[in-house]
Amino acid sequence: MRGRIAITLMLALTLILGGMLLGLGELEGAAKQTVTVKRVKKGPTSLDDAVWQTAKAVRVPFEGKEKFEGKKASVTTKAVYTKDSIYFLFKWDDPTLSVTKGAWKYADQKWTHIKSNEDRISLLFEINRINKFATKGCTVACHVPKGAPNAKDGKFGTSSAAEKGDLWHWKAARSDPAGIADDTWITVISEKKGGRKGDAGSGGDKKNITADKSKPMYTLAPGKQLGKHGILLAADAVEITDYSVFEAGDVVTYRMPKKGQGSRADIKAVSRYGYGGWTVMLHRKLDTGNDDDVAFNPRKKYSFGMALFDNSGDEDSYDSEVITLQFKK
Amino acid sequence: MSGTDNQSETLLERLALDGLIARVRDLQVSSDSLTWSRFCGSLALVLVVLLFLSGAFMAFYYSPSPGAAYDSVDYAQFSIPFGDVVRGIHHYSWNLLLVVMGLHLGRALLLGAYKAPRQFVWVSGLVIMLVVPAFIFTGDLLPWDQKGYWSTQVRNSIMGSVPVVGDFQVRMLQGGPRLGIVALTRYYVLHTIFLPGLFLFLIAGHFHFLGHRGLSSPVFGRETARRKVPLVPNIVNRWLVLFIVVAVVLGLVAWYWPAPLGDPADPTDSTYVPKPEWWVLFLNQLVGIFTGPLTVVGTVIIPGGLVGLMMALPFIDRSPERHPARRKKTMLVAAVISLLVLGLSVMGYIEHHLTVLE
Repeated sequence: MRGRIAITLMLALTLILGGMLLGLGELEGAAKQTVTVKRVKKGPTSLDDAVWQTAKAVRVPFEGKEKFEGKKASVTTKAVYTKDSIYFLFKWDDPTLSVTKGAWKYADQKWTHIKSNEDRISLLFEINRINKFATKGCTVACHVPKGAPNAKDGKFGTSSAAEKGDLWHWKAARSDPAGIADDTWITVISEKKGGRKGDAGSGGDKKNITADKSKPMYTLAPGKQLGKHGILLAADAVEITDYSVFEAGDVVTYRMPKKGQGSRADIKAVSRYGYGGWTVMLHRKLDTGNDDDVAFNPRKKYSFGMALFDNSGDEDSYDSEVITLQFKK
Repeated sequence: MSGTDNQSETLLERLALDGLIARVRDLQVSSDSLTWSRFCGSLALVLVVLLFLSGAFMAFYYSPSPGAAYDSVDYAQFSIPFGDVVRGIHHYSWNLLLVVMGLHLGRALLLGAYKAPRQFVWVSGLVIMLVVPAFIFTGDLLPWDQKGYWSTQVRNSIMGSVPVVGDFQVRMLQGGPRLGIVALTRYYVLHTIFLPGLFLFLIAGHFHFLGHRGLSSPVFGRETARRKVPLVPNIVNRWLVLFIVVAVVLGLVAWYWPAPLGDPADPTDSTYVPKPEWWVLFLNQLVGIFTGPLTVVGTVIIPGGLVGLMMALPFIDRSPERHPARRKKTMLVAAVISLLVLGLSVMGYIEHHLTVLE
């Protein structure tokens, strides 16, 4: 009897040890950074929502490119999800608020563009698998090296039509005042143009310029108010009938954000600039049902890349390595 | 009712299966064939059946080409209803099979079940155990993810270091100097056709020897005549209950902890460093210890010697004594080898899994 008990105990002990070893299960070899998306019952409604305290913060490093070559940046990233939506919170240092994006300035009896850009952050996910995106990240789709099959015009596009990416593009001047991030996607670069496309529906921004390109065409409609950071929304604009009302030093928005409709306006945005940096929350349905959006399945892992633009155009950015997005119950 | 029976019997007669069915119905086995202290063999069989069934499901969706393999596995796992449960069952089954087979072997070693007249029950069981890693190695590459791709690269380079035949066998496996579409096709054919066929043959052989030599009698307790019960339905029903329980438990485990699917394989990504899985940690340590001209010691001589020793055990230890306390030499050698394997595994675990990547 004692022998049987001993054998049973040994078998049980071995099974437990075996179970512990099984816990080794997944054996990842590469040191790829992971942003864990935590499940919450109710999604955050603001940048300071208590829900964000429960999410794990990941400091994602960025390397500067082109005019930012040799510089570094970082974005503290958090993510949570509910039954039907995903939420991201990004915080990064930026001592200068840049939201003018070539705004018009009236001086010396003429209109000129202010030589300034805007702050932005963008995220790229795979809708359909992009070859080597999971290991090389945006290098294979956005910041394509010379000589690559999709290197036409240098940027933005995939090597084949089967490869599709979902590009979330938060722009401090051109989308944020409308409460959205510009929802776009990328596909194969054609002979004539790049692979960036706007999602179905309407959105983006409207240029505020006359036909002769000498001055702004629109101003704030009566009874309306300027949006965040004094930016004129396309929906609140009215054609200028009397230019004599403008005084020296007046500034008028050049790129007027549209409120957006349909798939183009899937990504909602909340932001704040303060204490020398940006805090931005983006949220979207896990599955929008649109072909031009990545459908998040919380059982899967996703790869994504990010880019940061500090008062700069597409060429000059800070880029992250590819990151894993992992949902956690 | 009798009309139906007559029809059934007639059909069996027409199919010439009546004799076989009658023999199966008449089979009597020991009543302790499937009890708590003796169920690892039955559990291993449950896991093998689950592996075959889940593997067949996945094969319906699998496409063995580097451009499509990953997407086909991803689709089967995440787009087909319960696809992740099925793949999870496959994943956890082979992990558990290794543990259960180890326990099965350990029990036979401890209780001297390998001794005459059951030498070939032991030998055939060992051969089955040697085939399981071949399943794992070939199956690991099929999802064409980073882990499978780079682990296979490492394994093949170790295999290629074997003197004389190493390079030849790697080329036979890969169909060329590197892993590509030919290699994936060969691994797929090996994993789904050749190895399952061989495995079924070996299991049949194991049962053949078991049927003829019988289960080992209990070592502990009083020597009493063991009661016999019919295989059908008594033991088969117990086995079916075990099958259902294991399938449900593994299904739940797979539901809560889906089987891992890494990033798609990128042969140009030399930054990926695969980590050895838990069951090869000790072999990996051996390869690390014996380097340079001594590589063959870690890759061939020690593992081969260990297998040879175990194969020869029933023919070396020929005394009829089965009680472990009265087989001190055998137990001492087994304990030393087990401790070495465990120690090397722990070292490997610390080195590969507890070391923080720089």
